[in-house]
Amino acid sequence: MDLLDIRNLTIEMDGPHGRVRVLDKVSLQLKEGEVHSLVGESGSGKSLLAKAVIGVLNPLWDVTADRLWWNGKDLLAMTPKQRRAITGRDMAMIFQDPLAYLDPNATVAEQITEAIPAGDVTGTFLHRRVDRKTRVANLLHRVGIRDHDAIMQSYPYELSEGIAQKVSIAIAIAHRPKLLIADEPTTAMEPSTKEQIQRLLGKLAVSQNMSVLLITQDVASILPATQRVSLLYCGQMMEHGDTEKVLERPAHPYTDAMIKMSLQAHAELAPKSRLPSLPGAVPTLRHMPIGCRLGPRCPYAQKQCVKAPLVRHREAQSYYCHFPLNEPES
Amino acid sequence: MTRYLMTRLFYFFLALLVLSVVTFALNWLFPGDPLTNMSGIRVGQVGYETMLASRQFDSTVVQQYLNYLEHIVRLDWGLSLSTGTEVWQDAATYMVVSAELVLLSFLLAVLIGMPLGMLAANYFRHNIDKVILTSAMTGYSIPVFWLAQLLILLFAVQIEWLPITGQINPLYAIDSITGSVIIDVLLSDSQYKLAALQDATLHLILPVLTLSSLPSMLLLRITRNQTIEVLQKPYVKAARARGLSQQRLLFKHALPNVLQDVLPQLTFIFGLMMANLVIVEHIFNWPGAGAWLLKAIIERDYPVIQMVLFTLMALILAINLLVEVYRGWRFPMTREERYGGY
Repeated sequence: MDLLDIRNLTIEMDGPHGRVRVLDKVSLQLKEGEVHSLVGESGSGKSLLAKAVIGVLNPLWDVTADRLWWNGKDLLAMTPKQRRAITGRDMAMIFQDPLAYLDPNATVAEQITEAIPAGDVTGTFLHRRVDRKTRVANLLHRVGIRDHDAIMQSYPYELSEGIAQKVSIAIAIAHRPKLLIADEPTTAMEPSTKEQIQRLLGKLAVSQNMSVLLITQDVASILPATQRVSLLYCGQMMEHGDTEKVLERPAHPYTDAMIKMSLQAHAELAPKSRLPSLPGAVPTLRHMPIGCRLGPRCPYAQKQCVKAPLVRHREAQSYYCHFPLNEPES
Repeated sequence: MTRYLMTRLFYFFLALLVLSVVTFALNWLFPGDPLTNMSGIRVGQVGYETMLASRQFDSTVVQQYLNYLEHIVRLDWGLSLSTGTEVWQDAATYMVVSAELVLLSFLLAVLIGMPLGMLAANYFRHNIDKVILTSAMTGYSIPVFWLAQLLILLFAVQIEWLPITGQINPLYAIDSITGSVIIDVLLSDSQYKLAALQDATLHLILPVLTLSSLPSMLLLRITRNQTIEVLQKPYVKAARARGLSQQRLLFKHALPNVLQDVLPQLTFIFGLMMANLVIVEHIFNWPGAGAWLLKAIIERDYPVIQMVLFTLMALILAINLLVEVYRGWRFPMTREERYGGY
């Protein structure tokens, strides 16, 4: 059974110009221990998807889904309290700007301690105190912070970005979640810090048998350990499947464009040639195209594309396109 | 923290010094003889000549100012022009009488304003919020003197639940030892101690309510706005995503961050209460420093005016110092802001 099973998740909100579908029938499955990368440009709704799973969306928005199942249990049918219990126990999330997501007026030790489940520490009052402290130190070690004493007493504003992200990872793994959602955890970081964090996430996924849903903006910065990848555009799922298959033989024109636009691909370009990019810009919420939302920008679009394509499968990848690329010769 | 503390203390004493210059200058700005304004001894009275010498009025103004400072430090504010008694001696009781009223009102204002503000913010744009905000706006816009009359008319005259003015019914014959009625009653050996205590409490209700109405509503609005802002901060969202309950979010993550910005406003609110104190004490015939100041102004009792003004302002400065030191200790981030990092 899948750990997280999302089928046709739709999020709608009322804007000043009528109802907007910000997420349009998105499906996503996640197995236990799997590292899954969700790729999409800004505004594609990838963070909304994460927030819908965690349950911190604006209550004014309409969330409907054929399935939003966690371990076989329907998240949408739960009361807020039940849902909070599941979120607090099994899920955790880290964010792009770690400093903004740490309480500025609590020390690192206080914030990590808060995340340690109450049931973990037992014994007398004094014993619990010592126990908590060692647990916090252990967690900091696990995310690669060695001088734990100094960091524990620090306030977030005293930390560097990389350390702060490590601290938020420590907070996230404190209750041994089954799923860690990382919302662009390295986007604004220096390359060396970026790599440290990526390596750490990959290592934790293996050592803790924790699923990781990594949200990134481009295919170049997905985790090396990623087993499966999904591509989202304007709230529609474009393609998902095994990382190798998808990246080697993309079926969807959008995947193809994203790969060509990534930094690694540029190495093979001739000097002074144009950088590959999709024509046009991401449509605004007011002017969402009908059918396949990539339509107006897609070099392969035809008349049929005004109808949203149904899912198609090819070996270990699924895609939503009428005119797929790299079809195997039959 | 040491550096922060030293800077705060330095500014505190600097402000006190400036304040003393102003009060010193007042002696010349008030009509009449500067020495009389300063010491309360009239021209031609016994001791005027000695005072002239001891206050160094034959020397430069700087010398006079230094001498004046020395008197302030020794709490020697001269004699009252209207009663002829030592100003500081009278002040002690008046101050305690006012302190009782102010402290209770301040406490009430904090106890009403902050929880209600947080409650309103928690139910932002719901009915609870609207009800609280509307009543806050109403309370906020009623002038203190009018509210006092209204409360007297309603509770004291119409339904006769509470006494109109004064500290306590004089029939209980409680001796004034400290100035605070409640403490005086507790210290006294009257056989009607309990009844006297009840009477004193009843007398306190209306003045405290009047004095705390404006500060509590102000505090309510400040707290509400600040809480709404903090509740939308990313770290509160992150804490919510961790599955923490709303209570824990409010008290563990929102409250400290709200306090960080509400605390400095407490000084401002305290200053506002000082201004209203004069009005409230006058209306409720409360024998405190505010009423005393008003009486001194009417009687042109300059030594008393000087002393009360200086003390009230010094008190506000002291409260400011306390608040800032506590804030710097509890919220280290605010300390760093001052120096732009380190």
